[in-house]
Amino acid sequence: MNRRRWNQLLLRYPFLFALILLSVAILVNAILQPTFFTRESLNNNMRVFLPLMILAVGQAVVILGGGIDISVGGILSIVNTILATQVGLNGSPEKMWIYVGLSLLAGLAAGSLNGFFVSVLRLQPIITTYATSFLFFGIALYILPNPGGGIPQAISGLYRNTTPLGIPLAIYVIVLILLGWYYLRHSRYGRYLYAVGGKAEAAYETGVPVVGIQFSTYVISGLMAAIAGIAMSMLTGSGNADIGSAMTLNSVTAVVIGGTAFSGGVGGIAGPIIGAMTLQMIMNIISFANIDTWWQTFVNALIIVIALALPGLLNLIQGRKK
Amino acid sequence: MKKLRISPPAAALILAVTLFLLSGLLPNGFGSDMSIARAQATNIVRLAVFLGVIAAGQTLVIISGSEGIDLSAGSVVTLTAILAYVMIKGNDSMVLPAIGVVILVGALIGLVNGIGITYLKISPFVMTLGMAGVVKGLIIILNHGNVSGKVAPIMTSIIARPVVFGIPGAILIWVVFGLFMWFLLERTPFGRNLFAIGVNRITSTLSGIHVPRMNLATYSLAGALAGIGGFLLVGNTGVVFISLGDPYLFPSIAAVAVGGTLLSGGKGSYWGTMSGAIVLTLITSLLTTMQMPESVRRMVLGGTLLMLISIYGRQRALRQ
Amino acid sequence: MTVLLSAQNIVKRYGGVIALSDGNLEVSSGEVVALVGANGSGKSTLSKIINGVVVLDGGQLLLDGVPVQFPSPQAARKMGIATVFQELSLIPQMSIAENIWLTREPLHPTGTVDQKEVTERTKRLLKLFEGTFKTELTPDVSVSSLQPDEKQIIEILKAISVDPRILILDEATASLDSRQVSRLFELVATWKLSGKAIIFVSHRMEEIFRIADTYSVLRNGKTVGSGKIKEVTEKELVNLMIEKASVFTHARQNRAGAKELAQKPVYLTVNALATDVLRGVNLQVRRGELLGLGGLMGQGQRELLRSIFGYIHYHGTINILGKDVHYRHPADAIKDRTAFVPGDRGKEGLLYIRSILENILLPSWKEFGVPTRMKKAHEVAVGVGESLNLKMAGLDEPVSSLSGGNAQKVVIGKWLKRKPQLLLLDDPTKGVDVGTKAEFYKLLANLCDEGKTIIFYSSDDEELVGLCDRILVMHDGNIRTELVDRMITKRNLVAASLGASEEEQHE
Repeated sequence: MNRRRWNQLLLRYPFLFALILLSVAILVNAILQPTFFTRESLNNNMRVFLPLMILAVGQAVVILGGGIDISVGGILSIVNTILATQVGLNGSPEKMWIYVGLSLLAGLAAGSLNGFFVSVLRLQPIITTYATSFLFFGIALYILPNPGGGIPQAISGLYRNTTPLGIPLAIYVIVLILLGWYYLRHSRYGRYLYAVGGKAEAAYETGVPVVGIQFSTYVISGLMAAIAGIAMSMLTGSGNADIGSAMTLNSVTAVVIGGTAFSGGVGGIAGPIIGAMTLQMIMNIISFANIDTWWQTFVNALIIVIALALPGLLNLIQGRKK
Repeated sequence: MKKLRISPPAAALILAVTLFLLSGLLPNGFGSDMSIARAQATNIVRLAVFLGVIAAGQTLVIISGSEGIDLSAGSVVTLTAILAYVMIKGNDSMVLPAIGVVILVGALIGLVNGIGITYLKISPFVMTLGMAGVVKGLIIILNHGNVSGKVAPIMTSIIARPVVFGIPGAILIWVVFGLFMWFLLERTPFGRNLFAIGVNRITSTLSGIHVPRMNLATYSLAGALAGIGGFLLVGNTGVVFISLGDPYLFPSIAAVAVGGTLLSGGKGSYWGTMSGAIVLTLITSLLTTMQMPESVRRMVLGGTLLMLISIYGRQRALRQ
Repeated sequence: MTVLLSAQNIVKRYGGVIALSDGNLEVSSGEVVALVGANGSGKSTLSKIINGVVVLDGGQLLLDGVPVQFPSPQAARKMGIATVFQELSLIPQMSIAENIWLTREPLHPTGTVDQKEVTERTKRLLKLFEGTFKTELTPDVSVSSLQPDEKQIIEILKAISVDPRILILDEATASLDSRQVSRLFELVATWKLSGKAIIFVSHRMEEIFRIADTYSVLRNGKTVGSGKIKEVTEKELVNLMIEKASVFTHARQNRAGAKELAQKPVYLTVNALATDVLRGVNLQVRRGELLGLGGLMGQGQRELLRSIFGYIHYHGTINILGKDVHYRHPADAIKDRTAFVPGDRGKEGLLYIRSILENILLPSWKEFGVPTRMKKAHEVAVGVGESLNLKMAGLDEPVSSLSGGNAQKVVIGKWLKRKPQLLLLDDPTKGVDVGTKAEFYKLLANLCDEGKTIIFYSSDDEELVGLCDRILVMHDGNIRTELVDRMITKRNLVAASLGASEEEQHE
């Protein structure tokens, strides 16, 4: 009975595990960095964390619906190169909002392309979005062949230093996304999403529009990747067609840490948001731990692999006990 | 009544020849000069060797099915190239030990991939992508900014220069390598069982095949083959750098698909992958000749793979 | 009472196999009709035609006397026909309430789901079965944590939640306990009063007589009788389900009786074999014996064969020729010369896109060495093909090019080459043409004469009766009845499968 309780609890709040991990990470961080809880370092951290958090949200929606989106990094790169070239040195800061809008449209278009191939043509999600990611990185490289460009301080400051009521802008964004998700989750769409990810055949049998739902998850993911790209561009203030390449795997890892199962239909987006935070906190700790710079890439990558292996390891141990 | 059927590898080869002939018509193509045409063709095949060898391991894991793929191949190639470079230090006598180490290191990385995929149930894509990062980390540690080393003269003379009849050694090595791969796939129980688990793992288990063991062996072997790829590549370039193997990763998957190997597993051949490698190398060099930037090359590669998946990769419909 | 739904002269073919040749059914509002028939008589096909899952090839459906067509299950549901599915249509990760109201959630004006209303309505539905659950069920419990009986009840509630005019209960009682069945029947009585028509598909005789008003019997895809349940006895009903003159013309000649069997050495002994499904099965097979496994589908026959083959994890002991064995992988069983022929060829028996040659030699490649002696391999495959009279364009053609019967020969062929001592057959003649079946029966007889031991599960009762030395009838993960010698008749087998009362079992 007790075990059933715990499993039920995890099923309803799959991010519990991530929350524990996050608490530990925050604790360690606070010990290593005494100024951790000051307003300034909070804002510093949050604005760095935000892009991956948003990306993880999009990835989580796709995975919830039973797919996966390997192209999020590519979409992020496209947006970054658009902003860096148009708003930055070659363009005018005044027209920023137009290009922000254009970026969002680009994200929607890229997501629709993925959605078309995966849900309408019924191709394997992983390999298809891997192929489109190559396409997207190509487009980003076309827009900006060499790293450069840039976003004027005046504009990037909007993102970096806006703290209404003393609370970092990033927190407002996250709250907004959570509210939006809360609405979706409790609308009929939310039910359909979980049904499709849980057991597509049964959902189809019951009359759920499976193809449309799958399609929509990729569109949402594309949109989220675009928003993440905008945040990332403001954060770095510069353009690089390769900026998104490492972020795809990180987004998947954040989802896994957040307790959203790869098989679909279980979890939410709170977990992945926490997962993204946790992941980056751990990276923070490593950079504080005075590890030789040469070792950092290795240690970071190792942590990602361990995080990915964790659910499987736990399963294996549980299976042994039986 | 037998219909004339063209196998995908043959189709790829025909495509390659056609593309090559068309390329001759380009403003800066070979035109009607046969000796230049011959030299160009030889050069393209020689360049295809490295992609072809790196795609060998990819062919195996893709045939093994269950979304099998190896995204760590690019990093393994770089790592092993650097290892060989550092070990050999221009010393012919170190070539054989270096080959041994390179194979061993590749196999070890592959084994870790296999364990993660088989026992921890991590999706092959995600697991090998994660391992790519770890290997990249290893490279940075090993590299420490710069490395000192040198390839052995014997490697340069065998791999990069013509050996007999003006045919570069690399091509001869590839032919032998191709025979080895054919032998492995078509004339050993391992090869037969590999196709079997690629089609249907339940049928395979019920016929007495140890699927987990096969999986471990396949990923280890793929790692080892990537290691050999790294060794050959450094023999050709003579220098190493941190992203040496990366540009080969995506084309290695595309080459397998072009060669008619099912991305869902269970069907394919290395000779198809060889044709695929030639086609892709040709396309890349064509784009270079046409002075297309890197961005267009990527888009073309991505579009090619997307097209191939659309043709071969449809999944079962929801209703019946 | 007016006829609500009427199915007339329904025909349905699957490829070359005729599942229904003349299916008929009539049901009026406020009435329960029992649809009965033996394994493979076409019951589920007929109910699937009525609920729109399967499209009919001939005949017609009349709803309120008007011809109707259902292109999809949703279309049928819109017309007021709901089905309790046997293969569950629930989404495991979602809660009870979410599952029941999926696509029909009551909404707030803002577009969000009215959770309170959903919970209320679900509670009302759950109340229908209140007190029959082992633990209290609340609307927010996830379906994956439910027991099979609880899932079945949720499935019933999901169907009834659309307030259908016609409710199809397809083996809906199979996983319910007696209290739950009683409750369901009470509910059925109230649904009758409110004018619903109920089609009750079941194997359980006792239940049919408890609840049905009328009956309709299917045999080999034909409706062979119908009428008022009060005017028929259990014995008459069973007789209707059974072919009067057996069409089985391939009966094995020199079958061993109990006395002869006792003289043969024991080949396999199974003791207290238990899995998720099996509940401590004991059995013994002797060398050269053809042992049949009968019973309704899904009573543990498959799990039994799979455990013996080392494919699923089990508790208990298996002993072969006096030696205890515990296989952890089919490879171990194969080494001890055991072979397994699965019933689902596509999923478990074949590599569809690979060649016939490769399929035949799949378990045997190691024997041809490295490099594989292809000439030898080819010869062996040709030999197997000839011995089975395999009709094919060539050994290098993919198995997918073969007909069902020939494909099944390949599944058997891959074992024959290895000269197995024990053959485990899991419904091997399903979807196989008549000619191939005859060849297959002959092959089984020959193998037995050669002293091979065979355990044979079949969903075709005729086969079991016509071929086996002895039949074990399974029920609910255990062996219910053993039929030997003269007891081996179709009648006894059917009666034992259905669990008809004891006196009916003797001639």
